[in-house]
Parts: sequence; structure tokens; C-alpha cells
Amino acid sequence: MALADFAVSLLTFVAIYGLFALGLNLKFGFTGLIDFGHVAYFMIGGYVTAVLTMPAQVTGYDGLGGYALPELLAVVPGGDVLGWLLGVAGGMVAAALVSLLVGVPTLRLREDYLAITALGIATILNEVVRNETWLFNGPFGIRTVHQPASAAFPLGLGSFILNLVVFGGLSVLVIAYAGYRVGSYVKDVDTTGAALGLASVLVLGGSIGALTQGGPLLFVGVGLAVAGVAVLREAVRRSIEPERTLALVVALAAAAWYFLQPLLAASNPTVTLQTNVMFLFDPVAGPNGGLDYDRFFMLLSLAFLAGGYWWCQRTINSPYGRVLRAVRDDEDVPRALGKETFRYKIQALLFGSALAGAAGSLYTIHLGFISPDQFGAMITFFAFASVIIGGTANNAGVVLGTAVFWAINSGTQFLNDYFPSEYAVKLAAARLIFIGVLLIVILYYRPEGILGEQDYDIRLPGDEPAPSRDDTAAAPGGDADD
Amino acid sequence: MTDDPILSVSGLEKTFGGITALDGVDLTVDQGITGLIGPNGAGKTTFFNCITGYLAPDGGTVEFQGDDVTGNRTPSIVREGLVRTFQIPRELENMTVRENLLLAPGGQSGEKLGRAWLRGGQFAEDERRSRREAAEMAAFFELDHLLDEPAGSLSGGQRKLLELARVLLTEPEMVLLDEPLAGVNPTLERKILERIHELESQGQTFLFVEHDIELIMEHCDHVVVMHQGQKLTEGPPSAVRSDQRVIDAYLGEEI
Ligand SMILES: Nc1ncnc2c1ncn2[C@@H]1O[C@H](COP(=O)(O)OP(=O)(O)OP(=O)(O)O)[C@@H](O)[C@H]1O
Ligand SMILES: [Mg+2]
Repeated sequence: MALADFAVSLLTFVAIYGLFALGLNLKFGFTGLIDFGHVAYFMIGGYVTAVLTMPAQVTGYDGLGGYALPELLAVVPGGDVLGWLLGVAGGMVAAALVSLLVGVPTLRLREDYLAITALGIATILNEVVRNETWLFNGPFGIRTVHQPASAAFPLGLGSFILNLVVFGGLSVLVIAYAGYRVGSYVKDVDTTGAALGLASVLVLGGSIGALTQGGPLLFVGVGLAVAGVAVLREAVRRSIEPERTLALVVALAAAAWYFLQPLLAASNPTVTLQTNVMFLFDPVAGPNGGLDYDRFFMLLSLAFLAGGYWWCQRTINSPYGRVLRAVRDDEDVPRALGKETFRYKIQALLFGSALAGAAGSLYTIHLGFISPDQFGAMITFFAFASVIIGGTANNAGVVLGTAVFWAINSGTQFLNDYFPSEYAVKLAAARLIFIGVLLIVILYYRPEGILGEQDYDIRLPGDEPAPSRDDTAAAPGGDADD
Repeated sequence: MTDDPILSVSGLEKTFGGITALDGVDLTVDQGITGLIGPNGAGKTTFFNCITGYLAPDGGTVEFQGDDVTGNRTPSIVREGLVRTFQIPRELENMTVRENLLLAPGGQSGEKLGRAWLRGGQFAEDERRSRREAAEMAAFFELDHLLDEPAGSLSGGQRKLLELARVLLTEPEMVLLDEPLAGVNPTLERKILERIHELESQGQTFLFVEHDIELIMEHCDHVVVMHQGQKLTEGPPSAVRSDQRVIDAYLGEEI
């Protein structure tokens, strides 16, 4: 498997779980609702979308539906996609409705009771789905999940050259843009720190390259990695702004791994490098190459994530979001100022659950299969870990935290290749221990998470050109528009 | 000024386990500035809690501007125009002073979820109005240089001011002030009292808990004395001051 395929799969998961964590952040980060049952809405979204979109009378399925919305609407052009979107909307609405049923009685409880009750209800819902075969086929789950627009893939644009230019070019643009963003973030790092950072990255990259060849080089690689970490520490210590150096180091290490490693390791370096660089272009998909479904689905998931992010930001950067934060900090205060705090809590719960529902829909499609086993309480706690790592009450931080969490969780699976197979289970446990330790370290040294709480800014139309226009009427010194 | 009382409370009761905090309080408050005094533990704060919906009274009725609001929920009582300050200021410490103030104005359309998503309508206009009012209020309370600081960084006295500023921004009909001036410096104290008189002359009503008896004498039209969960007496400041029961229960030897 080329690294590009791994990166595509990782990004798809990050997008899906990022959307899920954004929903949790809305409840927990901004409103202070500790919902330990968040996974229930992920599950409901997944099942409801699956049932609404899959064909009717499938053999081996004894549950409700399917209602085949995409097929029903396929009579109009684009109707199948519309049908699928309706299915997702149905999943979101169902998740929100169930959260309403949960929220009305529990939101009046004290917050720690809410946490426990929500955990219990999520477990009960999972057991119901597992045991009631008439509902969603019980433990056997659904294997006939509808994949939107799958017939159009692999998507080719005619000639091989055209495919190469469009999809390959798009990939290069994305990589260049990412590099530009990192560069402009890191720009004014202290030069010594940057140089040391670069050196450490080369060492790290080299060692990882060596690692991936396995065998006796493993020990050389480990030694180099230790040296690299030492140099990295020094770089961070010397830098004026450790965060930026760290970002540079991480970005360059990722780049070295992604671009240098194939040259060192693979049997066919140029092909692997091409796949990694032009990650959207698959030369063997279809007769003339093109965009395969996994890539398309990654883009679709990222689009959902971007939409969810935008939507959360708009919600938070508003007087509405201000009240949510007030409810989180001390509910009595907004009450004393006439706000119906209960309504705010219910709405945050509904909205957060709907986002979890959308994430569940995407998750189901990505796996192509859904069963109750996929929705254990762990999923909720992974999302809590992502939120806490990235920054509670920070939408960008939550996405970053999800990326860090899943990069660690999935990236370390490569380590399996270097150990005898009987260690696989132990490695999986070690991974969880590592994430647990990371969480403790973050809670201890940086309890606000990597990015900390976000800044808030309610933009009003016409604000930028004349920031103090309204101030003429205001008292001196009072800067009413910021 | 109207002849009907703004607030009229009768037979208000509240017990906490074995402690009877309010033991049948009857009280009417007319437009103006009324002082509420009494020893520690007399039930003044509990009285405020019961009429503003923070605690459900065990008995009795509360009428505000002629409406029975007994047992109503706090937000609806506040929207009718009856607000209170907390004896121990409750700032939203993670939020800035400005944000604390911006929470107060009523009827902000941007506080509705649909409006927050769609913007448009009164959204921008309302937010501008709130920002202007908040800035003015901050300037009056000499908090304007702190607008972008987290409220958690304010001093004890500044917190009292923020609390008062926030409550006044809700444009209330009647304000219950629970020791609003404790720990406030003398110049600002005078300024605040002037503001209270000004608002009073515009028709607002204040019920004012304060342990500084001179201040009560000077600024209140009417004084109510509470003791052990009951109203001990009430009347004009001078009469209350010379009342022997008040001297015994609260003031001690007349100075
Ligand atoms: N939440 C509560 N739980 C139990 N007892 C309470 C509670 N609130 C008040 N009390 C009791 O009720 C009585 C009246 O208290 P309250 O706070 O109303 O007094 P106060 O007149 O405001 O006194 P101070 O002048 O010291 O502020 C006290 O004996 C107090 O211990
Ligand atoms: Mg008190």
C-alpha cells in the first residue's frame, strides 16, 4: 500500500471523526454539557441513513426498510445524489430527535448526572439495536450500504493526459498550498531553531526511512531517532517561539516521511513517489486513469467537515454563542439576565447530535457495513480525547486534535510490521496506553489543549471600513466595535 | 409614580431543613429607593432568592406590577423587569468584561439560533446597539479600560461594579441590590448612588440591602427591617432608627 492510500484513508477518518468531535465540542466545549453518550447519535445517523438509502428487500436483512431514496429519485437527473443527501438529512434529524428525548429529562439534572445518564442511555440504545432484529437486523448489521454516486467511479476525464493534468495538478496544488500555509505560519522562527529543526527532521526522516526497510537497520534507525528527538528538543528549547518550531519540525518530518521514504524504501521508488505526490490521480483506475472512489469519498468527507466547521463557527461567533459560553461558565448568570438557558442547552444538544449523525452517515458509507459493535462507548471517549488534545472550545483545535489522535492511532499501526505477529494485540494496547499518557501530559502541561480556547469575533456587515463609526455616540474610551 | 405597589409580597415562607429562613414575610415596595436592613442571617438574601425564582418559596405569594409571579422561573421574572444582583458577585471569569456586559441587554435577535445562522434582519443593528450600551455603561462604572480583559482578572470591587452594570443594562423596572457597595471606593460609591437616584427619578425602583446604616439613612425613602425571617418594622429612616426593637436587634447602642 502506498503511503498516499494510507493518507487518504487517514484523512477520511479524520474528516468523519472531526465532524463527530465538532458536535461534541459544541455540547461540551462551548455549552458545558458532558455528553458521554455522544456515540449514540453517531450510531443513529449511520443506521437511519443506511436504511433510508439502501434498496428494499435485501436477502439476509430482516430490519426496517430499505427505503431506497436514491433509486426513487433517480428519475430526475442528479436525483440519486439528492436521495442520498435526504438520507443523510434523515440521519441527522433522527439523531437530533433522539437527543431531544434524552435531553428533556436529563438536562435538568446536575452536569455530572447528565454525564452518567447519557452514558447509560447510549449503552441501552446500543443494546436495543443489537437485540431487536426487526429494527436494524440486530447483531448482523447491514452489509448493503448505499454508496452515493458510486456508479460514476472511477471518474475519468477522457484522455490519460487530461486526467493526469487535472487530478495530478490538483494534488500538487493542494500540497503546495499546505506547504505555503505551514511556511507562512513558521516564517519568523529564530534561525538557529529552524536550522536545528531541519537537521533533526533529516535525521528523523532518515531514520524512519531506515526503519521502513526493517531488518538490522532497525537498530540504526532507533538510534538515529533517539538522536533526532534530542536535537529536536534542543531546537524547541532554543527557539523564540517553540510552537512554531515544533510545527515546522512536525510538518517537515511528515514531508520527509511522505516524500523521502518512498525513495529509500519501496521496490519501485518513482512509481510510489508519483502516487504520493499526485495522490488524487490513480493511473490504473479505469482505462485512462482517473479519480477513484476512495479519493472522491475523502473529498466528500472533507467537504462535510468544512461545512460543519463553518456552521459551528457561525453559531459560536454570534450573540447566541455568547450565551452558550455563559451557560457553560455559570448558568445562573445568564438566567439572572433573562436568558432561557434550558432552551440553549437543548438546542446545543440537538445541533451537536445532528453533527454526530452526519458523521455517522459518512462513517457507514466509508466502511460499507454497519453493526452495533462499531459503536461502543470508546468512540465517545476517543472524541473527548481529540477535543482535549486539540483544545476544548476551539473548533480548529478540535479538528487538529482529531488529526493528532488518529495519526497516532493509525500511524503506529505501521509498527506492527516490525514486530512478530503475536505482538499485534499487545501493540494495540500499547497504543492506547501511549494515547492515555499523551492525554495526561497535555492535561498537566497544557490543560487548555494544543490551541487553547479560540478567539471570538462577531463580524457585523460594514464593520471593517469604519471600525469606530458607531463610537461617536458612545462614551469616550468605549470601543464598541472590535 | 403610581399608587399601586410595584412589589407586594405576603406570607412568604422558606425553610432549609430545620432553619426557618423566612417566616411569613409581608412587604410592599413602592416606587423609589427602599432600604432593607437586618442582622446577618436575617433572611435578606433568601428573600431575594425567593422572589426572583432562584428558590421556590414554601408558602406565600409574590406580586410584581400586579402580576402573580410566585414560583415563576427566573428568566421570565427578569424579562418582566425584576432583577437582582448577587451578594457575592458572579462574573463569567473566562469571558471578557465586554462579553459579560453584552449578555445583559434584552431582546437581542442574534441570541436566537436561527438568527445567528442566517444573520440579516435586526442582527447587526441589535448587536451594535448592545455594544454601544455596554461601552457607555462600562465608561460610567470606570471599567472601560478593562473591556477586553477577562472578568476573572478584575478586583473584588470591580466585580461588584460589573455586576451592577450588567444588571442595569437589562433596563429593569425594579432592581434588588444585595450589598452592591461593599468594597467599592468612596468616590465611585457616590457616583453609583447618584446614578441610582437618577434612575429612580426616571421611575425605576430599588430595594437595597446594606449594612452601612448612615448610607441607608441618607439615600432611602423608606426602610424595612428584617429579623429572624420576619419583618420587624418599617417606616421612614428616622423613625426606624430610633425604634427600640431595631436598636436591640440590629443597631446596638444609638450613636
Ligand atoms: N441554601 C441554603 N441552605 C441552607 N440554609 C440556608 C441557605 N441559604 C440561607 N440559609 C440560612 O438561612 C438564613 C438566612 O440567610 P440569608 O443568606 O438570607 O441571610 P442574610 O440576611 O442575607 O444575611 P447577610 O447579611 O449575612 O447576608 C441563615 O440562617 C442561613 O444559614
Ligand atoms: Mg445576604
